[in-house]
Amino acid sequence: MAAETSYLTGARADLEQSELAEEHLMLDPRPREEMNQMVMEAMTTTTPVYWAWVGGLALIVAVCLFGVWGYMTATGIGITGIRRPVFWGVFIVTFVFWIGISHAGTFVSAILRVFKAEFRRPFTRAAELMTTFGLAGGAMYPLIHLGRVWTFYYMVPYPNARWLWPNMRSPLVWDFLAITTYLLSSTIYLYLPLIPDLAMARDRTTGLRHRIYRLLALGWRGTEAEWHRLRKAINIFAFAIIPVMFSVHTIVSWDFAVGVVAGWHSTIFGPYFIIGAILSGVAAVVTILFVLRSTMRNFKYFIRPEHFDALGKLLLVFSMAWAYFFFNEYLLSWYGGEEAVQRILTLHATGPSAWVWYLMLICNVAIPWLTLWNRRIRRNPLAMFFITLAINVGMYAERYTIIPLTLGHQRMPFDWGIYNPSIFEISIAIGTMAMFCLLYLLASRAIPLIPVWEVQEGQMAHSLKKVGKAHVPSVTELE
Amino acid sequence: MITEPIHLALFEEDQINEAAEAISILRSQGVPDRNISVISGVPLSEHILGRPMSWSRVGLIGLVGAVAGFLAALAITYLPVLIYPLNVGRMPVFPIPTTLVVVFELTMLGLLISTLLGVFVETITPSYGPHGYDPRIAHGKIGILFTCPPEVDCESYDQLVALGAELTHNLQERKLWP
Repeated sequence: MAAETSYLTGARADLEQSELAEEHLMLDPRPREEMNQMVMEAMTTTTPVYWAWVGGLALIVAVCLFGVWGYMTATGIGITGIRRPVFWGVFIVTFVFWIGISHAGTFVSAILRVFKAEFRRPFTRAAELMTTFGLAGGAMYPLIHLGRVWTFYYMVPYPNARWLWPNMRSPLVWDFLAITTYLLSSTIYLYLPLIPDLAMARDRTTGLRHRIYRLLALGWRGTEAEWHRLRKAINIFAFAIIPVMFSVHTIVSWDFAVGVVAGWHSTIFGPYFIIGAILSGVAAVVTILFVLRSTMRNFKYFIRPEHFDALGKLLLVFSMAWAYFFFNEYLLSWYGGEEAVQRILTLHATGPSAWVWYLMLICNVAIPWLTLWNRRIRRNPLAMFFITLAINVGMYAERYTIIPLTLGHQRMPFDWGIYNPSIFEISIAIGTMAMFCLLYLLASRAIPLIPVWEVQEGQMAHSLKKVGKAHVPSVTELE
Repeated sequence: MITEPIHLALFEEDQINEAAEAISILRSQGVPDRNISVISGVPLSEHILGRPMSWSRVGLIGLVGAVAGFLAALAITYLPVLIYPLNVGRMPVFPIPTTLVVVFELTMLGLLISTLLGVFVETITPSYGPHGYDPRIAHGKIGILFTCPPEVDCESYDQLVALGAELTHNLQERKLWP
């Protein structure tokens, strides 16, 4: 009898352990060689469908983005729907949208790294890549919006003939500096943890790929000094890039808030924009993870329902935080009683474009709150894909409400107007979306999207510990 | 630069304890720490392997970059105003709050770019200790590279083999970077 009990206990323990391994990537280790092979296979496998997507997206980028932008530059910005009183339209809305998306990488990679959230390990690089490409898309918009793009050099301080110097303290210069700083630092932050994986790719490739990886891996061998240096640099970045991230979207919000424009001149715009950016960025990470998991070979091993579950919880928290800031901003503006602001708020909720305002609330509040409390929904990648798409639609609607819908009804009723985006503006917005997807698609076959060494490090640190009659996951501090 | 033949003791990825033990054995045989180098596919801290602490100047280089960024920010915000002061009714010529934004961004930019430069500079700077590489390191294996003083016979390190090491003698240095 005693032997039978022992046998049953052992069988239950095995079942418990296999369930935990199936659940947690960190408790389901595979030999490093096998993981390297899985990542390399995903990276080097292309199908005709892949090339069809690359070709299609490249065509959209060429026609909708560069073709239309070229046409607009040659013809003049009058072909857009931007005219008095709305001078900021879809270009600025999409600019804010992309800058918001770019917060994902830093949040997921830097903040979760600082707080040692273990679930981050397999998808930090996918998120960092989003930051870089999102910023690349966003950074184009100030130039596109400029219209006469060739006059960009006016912002550069140089001793010109009339001795006129640009005002280096202007909010537009803040914007330029913040985006440049964030773009450069997030690209470096993407590159540094990539070095060991580039060395792995270097050792497994030949020809041109090998030469490129050899150059980028900086002669990496994995010595103690190299790891020490890398860790130090990553730590500096993880801490330093967080305030930079906060500053970027704060400065984007100041583009609006520093003007005495009704509906914009608010001290809460900085944090309100940041929380919205993190909400849209984390949502975009989930969307991308679903696409990667569904389309790339072997990614189902690395990206599991536990990751969607963890990110789903974060999304629910950020959705609530966004609602808090939205309500705070709304209530105080409305209660303050300034007539122009009250008119704008009433217009948002009851005017001809009220559907945009309701779409924003449905997608950013109703959908996440009604779904993400449920563990089964959070663990369903397809459901999470649609929920996160909806959140980003909602965040786009939020920016549309804040920008053209607010500008159209300012203090002077004789100057009210309705903004209708032209096909050229919509085309350019679609073009940058295609550019983001194209860059991501190309990068997925050029760099290892899974940081294998970080996954292995995590798997080494995790083990099952027997507590009473149960086996529970335990993490060892290896650093 | 070390000219003696380089030896490699290669351990499996789960043999961290054995690798740490092997380092102790080498040390007890008279191989100094400067003639030992550990290469691995995951970061193994010095205290895990019982090795002397590594050092790096990346932080210091980053700090220098931050100072440079700070000075650059002061230059671009103050110099144009010094050259061409614009007096706008009762507005300060040198407004501090708006300058702080530029100072912050450029200081951080200087810090972050110079941190990368620090990594790059330290990478190309000649390093001490035995050089050598085996592609199996990226498979997660742990390698101990060592050279022996002339009076020690490295070929007879049966103790390392007993710990599970795969020994390679006279390792050829591979050129990994242009």
